[in-house]
Amino acid sequence: MSALDLSLREQATAVRDGEVDPAELLEASLARIEERNPAVNAVVETFPERSREMLATAPEGPLRGVPVVLKDEWPLPWRAQRFGAADMLAPAEPGESGPYRALRDAGAVIVGVGNMHELGAGSTGHVSVYGPARNPWDTERCPGGSSSGPAASVAAGLVAGAVGADGLGSVRFPAAYCGLTGLKPTFGRSALAGHHAAAVTEMIVSGPLCVDAVDCRLLGSALFGEELHAGDVTGLRIGVVRDPVSEDVDPAVREACEGAIEALRAETGGEVKQVELPDLPQATLAGILIINTEMMNGVTPRRLNEVDPELSPVNRGFVKYRMLMPAAAIVQAKRLRTLTRRRLAAIFAEVDVLAWPTVPAVAPPLEAPMVELPSGTHMADQANVRGAALGNLTGIPGVSVPVGLSGGLPIGLQLQAAWGRDEMLLDAAEALERANGRRWVNERSPLARQAEPTEA
Amino acid sequence: MEASDRADEFVPAGMASLGIEADEVEMAVMGVAHQMFWPGILGLISMDLDGVAPERDIDLSKGPPA
Repeated sequence: MSALDLSLREQATAVRDGEVDPAELLEASLARIEERNPAVNAVVETFPERSREMLATAPEGPLRGVPVVLKDEWPLPWRAQRFGAADMLAPAEPGESGPYRALRDAGAVIVGVGNMHELGAGSTGHVSVYGPARNPWDTERCPGGSSSGPAASVAAGLVAGAVGADGLGSVRFPAAYCGLTGLKPTFGRSALAGHHAAAVTEMIVSGPLCVDAVDCRLLGSALFGEELHAGDVTGLRIGVVRDPVSEDVDPAVREACEGAIEALRAETGGEVKQVELPDLPQATLAGILIINTEMMNGVTPRRLNEVDPELSPVNRGFVKYRMLMPAAAIVQAKRLRTLTRRRLAAIFAEVDVLAWPTVPAVAPPLEAPMVELPSGTHMADQANVRGAALGNLTGIPGVSVPVGLSGGLPIGLQLQAAWGRDEMLLDAAEALERANGRRWVNERSPLARQAEPTEA
Repeated sequence: MEASDRADEFVPAGMASLGIEADEVEMAVMGVAHQMFWPGILGLISMDLDGVAPERDIDLSKGPPA
């Protein structure tokens, strides 16, 4: 087995203890990218000399010598971000972003830039200036977005950890589609500087994508700039919402998630309570409106008339449609956010976590990203956002945990908690892993299981 | 002039009044977006949220003030 197939924490420990040469680990990762990336298009650029320089100057941090991938949403000192687009409608230039500094200071080595859904505006990853990223579980399927490349690179075994961004579910969707654990931190806790919307966003956070919760804790600690300590979730109180929207889920996904919730309850000796969260569809729309308003920062009609024709037709149209969103709706969205935050505060006085499927169906085909639900056929984006926008709208953290397979494709359960309880969420995710004997976090995609010729 | 929220009128009128050029494909995309979002937007605008003011200097890293 290559050291590259160890978990993130095992790689870090092996390097620290002198059991693995980090230079060999880096070269193995570069070779693995060369070998497997053509199948998934997860990594859009490598820079071996820059990566070797990072390693040569890496401090004795908790991730010293461990290769990671960073989403194309932040600049690097030697590369401007492209936001997955021919035209990101915002200035971009090379620089030291917050996630770059966090990774560098932890001793990690950025081995490549991860693909992403164009402009971050999609939950599938099938649209990108670099071409679609592909799901390592089935390369004809969507890997999820917008952090498509970071997720696909971990699921394909190119690296053991990657950093994505989540403004409306963009870490959690690809985590679910690719069978990974993905953390959307509490707003403001993780490094964001250098993001083109950092000055205006009330929605976007950076977050780790890894095979399991312990690795997310390690990579998350680097992004948070503080150690995310493990704790005890004995007696966990799990809230479930039962309404027409949250119930509109593919039967196999529903069964896996309900089984996981019961397993988590049993593992922690806890309880499951039904809770009411009114106006969820309206809150979802409020999140969509607010983030689309943020993305209009600095965009003028004249700038829209100069939009690069290489931007996808869907986004060329949609960035212009944003200009028609009425101010009254934005104000109303912010009032509903207040109300929803109050409702959540009341719910989190009664339960520790809310649990529901991260996405209502498994990864759809790249060719036609539609999903079949009890209510009918839906665009995946429309269906997916229903379970994710709440976290960004209100600031609460969420984690997607793999809980099963359907037709050979992963299923994710989302756990959400009150503001600042990111550590407890990871504790709950670990408890869920224990509850099912780590079966689903130990599952590997067909691409990751293939015999690797590169040995570190 | 009578107001309309029909995509074939609202979107071209909005683009024209903002001075934004759009080709046929972009107009078609906007038409689909309008059909998708506008009913929800009207519903949101019509919600009775009397007594709920947006939080001033909102800190989304924390819960709402008591």
